[in-house]
Amino acid sequence: MTTPSGGASAREAQRQQWLIAQLLGRNTAQPDDRRAWLREEEPRAERALQAYRANAGALAERALAAAYPTLAELLGDEAFGQLARAFWHAAPAPCGDMARFGADLAGFIDAGDQLRDEPYLPDLARLEWAVHRAASAADGRQEPPPLQRLMQADAAELRLLLRPGSAIVCSAHPVQAIRQAHRLPQGAERDEAFAQVRHRRAAGEGDNAFVFRNGWRVDVLPVADADARFIAATIGGSTLAAALDAGGEGFDFEAWLLRAVKRAWLDDIVQTSVPNP
Amino acid sequence: MNGVGIGFRHPHYRELLETLPALGFLEVHSENFFGEGGAALSVLQQARAHYAVSLHGVGLALGSAAGLDPWHLERLAQLVQRIEPARVSDHACFARVAGETAGDVIHANDLLPIAFTSASLALMVEHVSRVQERLRRPILVENLSAYVSWQDDTIAETQFFNELARRSGCGMLLDLNNIVVNALNAGQEPVAMACAFVDRIDAGIVGEIHLAGFCRVVEDGGEIVIDDHGSRVHEPVWAVYRHAMKRLAQVPVLIEWDTDVPALDVLIGEARLAERHHGVRRSDAAHAAETPA
Repeated sequence: MTTPSGGASAREAQRQQWLIAQLLGRNTAQPDDRRAWLREEEPRAERALQAYRANAGALAERALAAAYPTLAELLGDEAFGQLARAFWHAAPAPCGDMARFGADLAGFIDAGDQLRDEPYLPDLARLEWAVHRAASAADGRQEPPPLQRLMQADAAELRLLLRPGSAIVCSAHPVQAIRQAHRLPQGAERDEAFAQVRHRRAAGEGDNAFVFRNGWRVDVLPVADADARFIAATIGGSTLAAALDAGGEGFDFEAWLLRAVKRAWLDDIVQTSVPNP
Repeated sequence: MNGVGIGFRHPHYRELLETLPALGFLEVHSENFFGEGGAALSVLQQARAHYAVSLHGVGLALGSAAGLDPWHLERLAQLVQRIEPARVSDHACFARVAGETAGDVIHANDLLPIAFTSASLALMVEHVSRVQERLRRPILVENLSAYVSWQDDTIAETQFFNELARRSGCGMLLDLNNIVVNALNAGQEPVAMACAFVDRIDAGIVGEIHLAGFCRVVEDGGEIVIDDHGSRVHEPVWAVYRHAMKRLAQVPVLIEWDTDVPALDVLIGEARLAERHHGVRRSDAAHAAETPA
């Protein structure tokens, strides 16, 4: 980060802090303060600041709607717009790439009271964020994974690397089914999918949603508990041996590997010099 | 590279790549392609096989006293290396300030107006130079539509840009719509004011011209003109454009349309209107001439 020196540049920093505080509503400036900085008289100055605030709110809403389309559809335009604006005020973007804005929306919903009646929303948001990030993840290796290493080395010395963007979201709510139902076109199939969601919610069923890139598309697949534990450990950087332990007795590695190869989930298999637990 | 280009936006990806209309270039917002991979980047690379590309950034925040974001600059550098664009540009604005916790930074994700002071100019020169060193090429810096101005502005905006170009070696992206919007909001006659602005800019520094639409928002009995890029180019902007072409006929021109994006043929129609006043024949703007070797 470059930092200019001198009192004059300190004044530029002060000016810029002041304007952004005005837009975020973090420092309630006195009217005299505004007159000290801006040439515009009231009410024009207030109109101008409102224009900036409105633009920021609209931008936040657009960015979050792109990342969280199911959440936006569920809440509707007005409620989602309010959520986006509240989030922008509470947690403004840290960088200039708006595709990265909204990483902690799930935590924000979780911590707030307004959406408490819909307890599945934070996990749904986590799932949508994982899908959003996977869409622009690296494309991965062109070569097939070196499966022969599974025969050549001990599982404690191997790590499986899934395709970039792979993620697992485990929820006590059927979030994969909710997202999938919202993606269907209007019609009987969609109606049936929502009926299934209602049934599963009433029964207290959850989803382990495995997110992975399928070419340019991002797919989400429900997986069993044991598979989810194995995938989570693998994504977390565990050795194959540790991931197998995490999967537990119910986990069938051979069956999982067959599916992983067929659906190109594996990017690479690497040998670690020092086994990690 | 001359000719008239349009923004390459998501609703037009497929149609444009299937029909390959004759255009001087395509413009994209750099930040939309900062991902490591995925479909969007692939589509841009396909477009690049047929058209020159102008990478237009909205997030470098070149005038921020908090400094440049090294991550942002690296992402841009990687994109430049991948796409080999005809031009790279961003705005004379700020957006980054220190957050409430030490080490935190807030990015306002807006094009907020810098002051026209010597300190602000020094900041811009330093940051533009650093970007150019990293990208190993000159960039263009765009003038803003600004809804506020600062009490202690001491340098005329045109002089600010001429001096920025002289000291950093950058060029200027001259947005005619922004000048008209500023004039309207200042209660000035827009065409005369904007033409005078254009005349005071050193012709040699202008590397791209932007044309766009604006809207008027009336609230509480007052009006503010917003540079929303959501409609056809308005007549006062065309008038300034015709004037600018007397000195800047060889400068590439972009039709910007970013909100309520219309059908592709509407956008191309605006580009054809711009070509009629442009200093090149339509055939010169054909994409074939811009296709990379």
